[in-house]
Amino acid sequence: MRSPNKQFPSEGTLQRLIAFVAALGVGVATYIAIADSGGGAPVCIAGGSGCQTVADSSYSHLLGVNVAVFGIVGYLLLLASAFLASDAARFGGFVVALGGFGFSVYLTYIEVFKIDAICQWCVASAVLMTILFLLNATRLIGYAGAEGDLAADAG
Amino acid sequence: MRAENERRQRLLRLAAGAVFLAIVAVAVLIVVSSGGSGGDTNLEGKAEVKRLLAGIPQEGMVLGDPRAPVELVEFGDLQCPFCKGYSEEILPPIVEGKVKQGQVKIDFRNFTIIGEQSVPAGAAALAAGEQGRGWNYVELFYRNQGAENSGYADDAFLKAVAKGAGVENIARWEEERQKLTPEVEKTTAEAQQLGFSGTPSFAVKGPSSNGLEPLGRLDSTGAIEEAIEKAS
Repeated sequence: MRSPNKQFPSEGTLQRLIAFVAALGVGVATYIAIADSGGGAPVCIAGGSGCQTVADSSYSHLLGVNVAVFGIVGYLLLLASAFLASDAARFGGFVVALGGFGFSVYLTYIEVFKIDAICQWCVASAVLMTILFLLNATRLIGYAGAEGDLAADAG
Repeated sequence: MRAENERRQRLLRLAAGAVFLAIVAVAVLIVVSSGGSGGDTNLEGKAEVKRLLAGIPQEGMVLGDPRAPVELVEFGDLQCPFCKGYSEEILPPIVEGKVKQGQVKIDFRNFTIIGEQSVPAGAAALAAGEQGRGWNYVELFYRNQGAENSGYADDAFLKAVAKGAGVENIARWEEERQKLTPEVEKTTAEAQQLGFSGTPSFAVKGPSSNGLEPLGRLDSTGAIEEAIEKAS
């Protein structure tokens, strides 16, 4: 399928990358949510109490729901969008990734300036969401308006 | 092809609008949350305290790695000017050295001898400790200490220090500090049993000490370090 600019990777490659990174994101967000639901906190790999401090803060929940649950939903939507080749999937994936990226920027600000603690798992999720935002933006700019079953055209 | 281009242009315009909205939303969220902790802006030494304690674990009123072999106990009174001097001049090299290296942890315990207001102040620090900010509270209190028993340590001051110390849930802190007076009285009695009569007084416990050994007044960083070495 055509791309308006030959510098863009093929849409199939972008879809596969999005699916891979979104699957990693589902794993990270699920771990954070499960650790929190047990009354604890994610374990910081390098030691320290940053994850505990962040999990204990009021910012870890929104409307009574752990923010990691919103993360799981977002990553699953991005995963689904990677398997569809339509403008709805391209635009939907972009909007979800944009929302996730914006929320990650806000949460990172909260960690650094309000909670004074850094949770490595939250940083990992923010990095994955940033990558997904860039991939989905590339996909939308490169392939918006294109028709056809691009998933089949992968590679 | 023309329809395809039009659809493409429309989608890209929508995407640009979404980016604009996202930037505005994030900016609003950050501005709203940055204004959420008002009332603590007049406190001094916030950045200094934050820098001193950054990255050091806190559990209750214990500062440092819970597995540290030596425990130094400070019996202090938040209204005590000597304790303030200790916290600003003698303590920092130990915190930045042996505490950060995991060789010692420091336990702050209230020994209220200055006056009535020392008790609610001590309980306020313990309640901050329940939210992992006990040492931030103690250090920030000292840096904003007023004249002994002058009435400065009222509820508004205690609350401002709590906010400045980064206590997350102020409602919970308010509730818990009301219940912690017996704990303040308990550690004050403990200090008296150890034979202390002034603040700050110290005790140490380590592999080479015989239980919690009273040290009394230690007036220099070197003297405290020596006591830690001896107990190691």
